Amino acid sequence: MTQEPVSMPPASLKHLHDRAEMLFRVRSFFADRNILEVDCPILSKAASVDAHIDLIYSESSDVYLHSSPEYGMKKLLALGAGDIYQLSHVFRAGEEGAKHRPEFMMAEWYRIGFSYEQMIDETCAFIQLFVGPMPVKIMSYREALITYTGIDPFYDSIEEHVPKHEGVRSRDDLLNILLALKVEPYLGQDELTVITCYPATQCALAKTETVDGELVAKRFEIYHKGLELANGYDELTDVKEQRRRFIEANELRVQMGKEPLPIDEEFLQCLESLPDCSGVAVGFDRLMMLRHNTDQISDIMI
Amino acid sequence: MAQASTNEIRPGFKVEVEGQPYFVTGNEFVKPGKGQAFNRIRLKHLLTGRVVEKTFKSGEKLELADVNETEMRLLYTEQDGAVFMDDNSFEQVTIPFNSIGDNKRWLKEDLLFGVIFYNGQPVNIDPPTFIELKITETAPGVRGDTASGRVMKPAILETGTEVQVPIFVNEGEVVRIDTRTGEYASRVS
Repeated sequence: MTQEPVSMPPASLKHLHDRAEMLFRVRSFFADRNILEVDCPILSKAASVDAHIDLIYSESSDVYLHSSPEYGMKKLLALGAGDIYQLSHVFRAGEEGAKHRPEFMMAEWYRIGFSYEQMIDETCAFIQLFVGPMPVKIMSYREALITYTGIDPFYDSIEEHVPKHEGVRSRDDLLNILLALKVEPYLGQDELTVITCYPATQCALAKTETVDGELVAKRFEIYHKGLELANGYDELTDVKEQRRRFIEANELRVQMGKEPLPIDEEFLQCLESLPDCSGVAVGFDRLMMLRHNTDQISDIMI
Repeated sequence: MAQASTNEIRPGFKVEVEGQPYFVTGNEFVKPGKGQAFNRIRLKHLLTGRVVEKTFKSGEKLELADVNETEMRLLYTEQDGAVFMDDNSFEQVTIPFNSIGDNKRWLKEDLLFGVIFYNGQPVNIDPPTFIELKITETAPGVRGDTASGRVMKPAILETGTEVQVPIFVNEGEVVRIDTRTGEYASRVS
């Protein structure tokens, strides 16, 4: 019996080839820098604890799908693995939209002894693999908010500037809405825009420092054409502080009516021997969106 | 009252927000990587047609508006309203012109219209996408000008509304009009 050939529109076949090409170039980028590829498990018993990232959980096996390979990779870093990267599918429950998918591809890597500034440089070079050479503009979170909204995130009242939004109480949530609606769409129109110095209350797993009298997180994000592409940290190595942040994130989850998540004790212990390092996670599919000039992530997913 | 989560709401849903009925025309999921997810929903007011954008926490539930659309035939128009009848139940309703708004220009007797009920009350009509209407008044086309493409001229239709038609179309002819745009689509007779 003869089989009908599978019909596939030429566009998606073209994406398939380009995707393979970019995966190859990404691996070459890391090989050129002597960064080792690792393959940490996607399933975990303990979860990554984040107030606003919901995990996909299998009840029958009592495991979570990871939302990023971060915890596994940090365990390797603590064991002395050196510079490492992982190209991995990651999973986030409920994230579905023009720029979101519950499953997507992430490139994540860690550099021992790298300053936050060096990490920004390397991440921009990585993004330019996909979008070509272009200028890089660095601005602080505060500068970005003031430039696009006229609001100082550390001092000004925000409530009156944010559209009515039921169930949002915290200042960080309001700032997030403001950033997403009034700032992000304008970032990186003809360049890569790096946002640095996030409010310390949005530090996640980053170290904090005092800049101009304000406590800020050593965290950066990179945007091009309004798309959030990368999130990087000067990595926190303080076990006590990390535990406090996990508990705080879980408290926030409970306040929002979500399940608190089990804390990964093994991960916390490994932070004690985590070398000073910087790390970043980059959304591979969003970079492919830029390469193929589409504003719908579904256009470039297989 | 029935509810739907922001994750389920699609364009075409009818919802009630702050006691007002809306059609959903768009729903965008917005989430900064580490921030809270929310949905930016575009709404068109069912009665006034005013378009607003509202932001909701992702996963929040919205009330579904009690909105139904029934096909009904226009029987006749009165001084300040139009009377429609359901062909199956023979039920008749009168909708005031101020509810019908701009769609008044498409009111042709004996045609089927969608009649929109909100909380059991008829509040607006949904005309057929294409409607065939006779031209009651238009200037004759200038001979020899028809070859130059779509040169348009005003024409008054049997419902009293004015549209632009190609100059080769004459008084007494029937034309097909797109009610979404009010533009001429083709000649029928």
